[in-house]
Amino acid sequence: MTDYVGVSGRKIRSRKQGFFRRLGRQWQLALMSVPILLYVLLFNYAPMWGWVTAFQDYKPKKGMLGSAWIGLDNFKWLFGRADFINSIRNTLAMSVINLVFGTVSAIVLAVLLNEVRQRAFKRTVQTVTYLPHFLSMVIVVGMAQNIFASNGAINQLLLSVGAVKEPVFFLGEGRYFWWLVGVINVWKEVGWNTIIYISAMTAIDPALYEAAAIDGAGRFQKILHVTLPGIKSTFIILLIMNIGHLMEAGFEIQYLLGADVVMDWAQTIDIFVLKYGISKQQYGVATAAGMFKSIVAIILLVAANFVAKRMDENTLL
Amino acid sequence: MTGANYNSKRVGRRQDVVFPTVNAILLILLMFITLYPVLNTLAYSFNDGTDALRGNIGLIPRVWSIKSYESILQDKAVYQAAWISASKTVIITLLNLFWTSMLAYTLSRREYVLRRFITTVMVLTMYVNAGLIPNYLLISKTLGLSKSYWVYIVPTMFSCFNMIVLRTYISSLPEALVESARIDGAGDIRIFWQIIFPLCKPVLATVALFVAVGSWNSWFDTHLYCGGQKELHSLQYLLKMKLATTQASANAAKTSADALKSTTQTTPVTIRCAITVISTVPILVVYPFLQRYFVTGMVLGSVKG
Amino acid sequence: MKKLLSVLLMLALLGTLVVPFAVAEELEPITLTVFRGDPGDQPSDDNKIYKLIEEKFGVTFEFEFLAGDLDEKLGLMIAGEDYPDLFDGGNSADLIISNGALINLLDYINPEDTPRLWAHIEPQKARLIEKDEDGNDVLYIIPNYGLTDGDQIVNEVNGPAFFIQKQVLAWAGYPEIHTLNEYFDLIEKFLDENPTNADGTPYTGFDILCEDWRHFCLINPVQHLMGRPNDGEVLIDVSTDDYHTETFIDKPYAKAYYKKLNEEFHKGLISKDTFVMNYDQYIAQLSSGTVLGMFDQTWDFGNATAALKDAKMDENTYVALGLVYDPEYVDGREIEEHYVNGSLPNVRRGFGISVNCKCPERIVAMWEEMLSEEWQLIFNWGIEGEDYYVEDGRLLMTEEQYNQRNDNTWKLANRALAFWESSPKKQGWIMDGEYAGNAWDPANQPEIVLGLMNDYDKEFLGHYGYSKFADFVNPPIELAPYGEAWQIDYTPVDVEHQDFLDIQDKDLPELIMCDPEEFDAKWDAFVEEITPSATAFGDYMQKAVLAEVAKVLG
Repeated sequence: MTDYVGVSGRKIRSRKQGFFRRLGRQWQLALMSVPILLYVLLFNYAPMWGWVTAFQDYKPKKGMLGSAWIGLDNFKWLFGRADFINSIRNTLAMSVINLVFGTVSAIVLAVLLNEVRQRAFKRTVQTVTYLPHFLSMVIVVGMAQNIFASNGAINQLLLSVGAVKEPVFFLGEGRYFWWLVGVINVWKEVGWNTIIYISAMTAIDPALYEAAAIDGAGRFQKILHVTLPGIKSTFIILLIMNIGHLMEAGFEIQYLLGADVVMDWAQTIDIFVLKYGISKQQYGVATAAGMFKSIVAIILLVAANFVAKRMDENTLL
Repeated sequence: MTGANYNSKRVGRRQDVVFPTVNAILLILLMFITLYPVLNTLAYSFNDGTDALRGNIGLIPRVWSIKSYESILQDKAVYQAAWISASKTVIITLLNLFWTSMLAYTLSRREYVLRRFITTVMVLTMYVNAGLIPNYLLISKTLGLSKSYWVYIVPTMFSCFNMIVLRTYISSLPEALVESARIDGAGDIRIFWQIIFPLCKPVLATVALFVAVGSWNSWFDTHLYCGGQKELHSLQYLLKMKLATTQASANAAKTSADALKSTTQTTPVTIRCAITVISTVPILVVYPFLQRYFVTGMVLGSVKG
Repeated sequence: MKKLLSVLLMLALLGTLVVPFAVAEELEPITLTVFRGDPGDQPSDDNKIYKLIEEKFGVTFEFEFLAGDLDEKLGLMIAGEDYPDLFDGGNSADLIISNGALINLLDYINPEDTPRLWAHIEPQKARLIEKDEDGNDVLYIIPNYGLTDGDQIVNEVNGPAFFIQKQVLAWAGYPEIHTLNEYFDLIEKFLDENPTNADGTPYTGFDILCEDWRHFCLINPVQHLMGRPNDGEVLIDVSTDDYHTETFIDKPYAKAYYKKLNEEFHKGLISKDTFVMNYDQYIAQLSSGTVLGMFDQTWDFGNATAALKDAKMDENTYVALGLVYDPEYVDGREIEEHYVNGSLPNVRRGFGISVNCKCPERIVAMWEEMLSEEWQLIFNWGIEGEDYYVEDGRLLMTEEQYNQRNDNTWKLANRALAFWESSPKKQGWIMDGEYAGNAWDPANQPEIVLGLMNDYDKEFLGHYGYSKFADFVNPPIELAPYGEAWQIDYTPVDVEHQDFLDIQDKDLPELIMCDPEEFDAKWDAFVEEITPSATAFGDYMQKAVLAEVAKVLG
């Protein structure tokens, strides 16, 4: 397919020059970036010594120097528990569903909005769809629990059109849980997620649409060959970042929506850590779980970045 | 200036009517679905607290009452907290826009020798987390920021996610802009400040929105560092506390006489909704203001102009 | 923009400079930092009671309440040793005590220097005073509630019970209901004749709330059916010398209850939605008056009761019944009912003084003075003439005076609850002086209690010949030496206990909903699954109960 977004050529600089000579010549870039680097090292990396508690029976009073070292016991305890393994499964399943639902819905809405010509209408839709982002999860989940109850709106609809004979027990059967979470997240966040794509579309050169029209492209061809390629780099970068976040499916929505009867589908890693970590004074276990999550995240991130590079796409790193 | 402002002479007439109609219907439907929870929240917030316990309120309050709002807005502390929240939101947003876009520019420069190193260091911050206790000890003990206004500002001046969003955008700008400026003898600082920064308006608007909403909605920093300093309480913290208090007093072991007596009290159901409205309205004002930067083609238009 | 920014930064700077700090000298005005392990609102600046405290004691307070997770917050305070002067660790006080955050109050409290405080704790000192690692007597926290004077006040069942709508009893001609079968038979009969209410909304026979920590509605009833008050998740035989303690949920006598629920589920009394509903939905259902019965604790649905009364639906409010198993479920034994327990001090709940506090003796001296009748009346009743009046030696309130005590804004300006709720206080009856015979708490004052009861309730009780709703159950049983077992700290078996709860939360709803023919097999599978964690928890509790008994009986 034809890509109307041109990739500008870049000069390849000689690699023979010495590192410090080049850095010296780039002092302005260094001045603009090194202070922030130091800031991040202080606020994000200095506390990383806290990771040693993953190998300790950490007690806040004794501190990291005084607590007993217990090797890999925290990790062994975690991976010896079937419900931790189960929570990894649930986390991955729900974050993949969220990623797919969330990305597709955001891009579809962004494209549809981009096709709207009446400015007032477009702005109204944008504003209205992003409002639910500001509602607390308690409110949204509460409404969802009413809508999906046995006598709720969805079941009444299904019964009235004859799609089912008995009300579906959406909230009490585990197999529906992951999908409900996906749907509720889209409901709440679709407008918000769209913002980033809408701002990316502002960079598309209108001349490309004109050129496409002259080539005889219809509306859908223009979407396919101008609009979507225009947001491709944003899409790829967000995708790579989100793949790194696959170990994070959150806890609030699952905690609120998940009745005890569907616990085996609802418990995410974060809920597991909340339950068995700090509230049971197992600080080391909480750190160990966090460390495990980080390591998996970095592996996923590097892999996604690698694939993107092989496919000659924009990369994160 | 509108969305897809291109010539459509060659497009068939039928398609030209059908698609916008279908599109408009879809979007209106979507608006209804997303507006429903918002209106429902509004309806609850204006309903009598005790009556609202019964649920089943749709888009209009069943028994009108402004008691939930009254009980919150009567507290003078709300206004002090709103001032704290607004001021920190403005400061954090400005600082973030500045720091983040500056770094994004340097990391979009392919020739920059530290590019890969700094990018990697930055990106990893999104995936590694030291945990609550070491962070708390750093900010509270090592840096001594707790119990002061600075604890809202200093630890939140930079966000990697927003930097990446900006970098992606800057990378999509034509390289010729930078090249020609360099030929004119401009250094990177000038190129960034005079050429790139102004061109980033749409994405800066996006980042400003992300940062402002995040800062406005945060309560955890108050909870960790300033809970005992009532003059430093943020609005979200205060409102969260009010909700928690209402819930706790609803759950608390009521003495027998209280339980025997009917009360027309505020209840968690309506307080929760009133709090949502009170805390959301100020930040919603920001969006339409930023929306005017989301206009297709404005960047390149200005380049050519 | 630049100007605005600098103005904002200036203001921010100013804000940090005015943070007050504590000066620890006698007679000097001091500010005490206070942490409360529960949510609360900051008192008004012009609160009249705090003004009195400042005038009399030179003390002002800087309160911090809990907004997020308690254990998380306490963990950070311990890690940073950031302790307030007055420290209420809420439900996790064990955590701050075991980390050495609190001082031993016995260094300051003794019969000579602090006679009132000593007299206050003395009757319960066996329960309150512990031994530290070196075998010394220690007292970290003076209970905020439960140290009462005079006869126990029981106007109604405030804790767990089986509840039934008043209209169901009225419909059946005000029968006495004492057993599980009688209870469900009555609901079944009522439902047969009245499937819906006047509006045509179907009635629900029996609700079981399972949300989060409120799962006690699902997992706790069996101990009460066996004739014991609330000991949490264990059943203790107080008639045996070894206080035989066992988890009850995995025992054959528990099976009878869940099998009964399974039957009722298939008869349509229980809806499967009950297992997935959240608390708001539960309260909404109760408030609509369509739920005929449930097992719960009175305080847990106080809002629903208020909503029903507000809507003049008194016949839909509830009576607490003390049900026991019918003899057929327990080998023909007659079980004696005990839902209400003897009065119990709130051990390890309330203020302690932290090791960071520079003036513990001043706080103790203040508490000592505050236990006087003068101050107790100020905290409980308010200011005479403004908040209450006295007639013939009786403390009384007008309806308006009583109602304003429920108004949040009023409370923040006129009561010192943030401080007082966690402080040592007098409860029960005033024993001597000119007001002897009055209740310390207005909510317990007989004139006020009677005045608040409406005509429907008076008539309803009249049919039974009762004067109060507590008459539906037996009077309080004598408090066992170990107190109530749910108060016992089970930190060492925390993980096993969590597993023990999780299995119940998951499996019990399934057992109630399953095909009756599969019930026995599923029950056996449940028992097998839960036995390891139940044994670990039960064994620990047995030891803990015995240790507590040894401590109290000496």
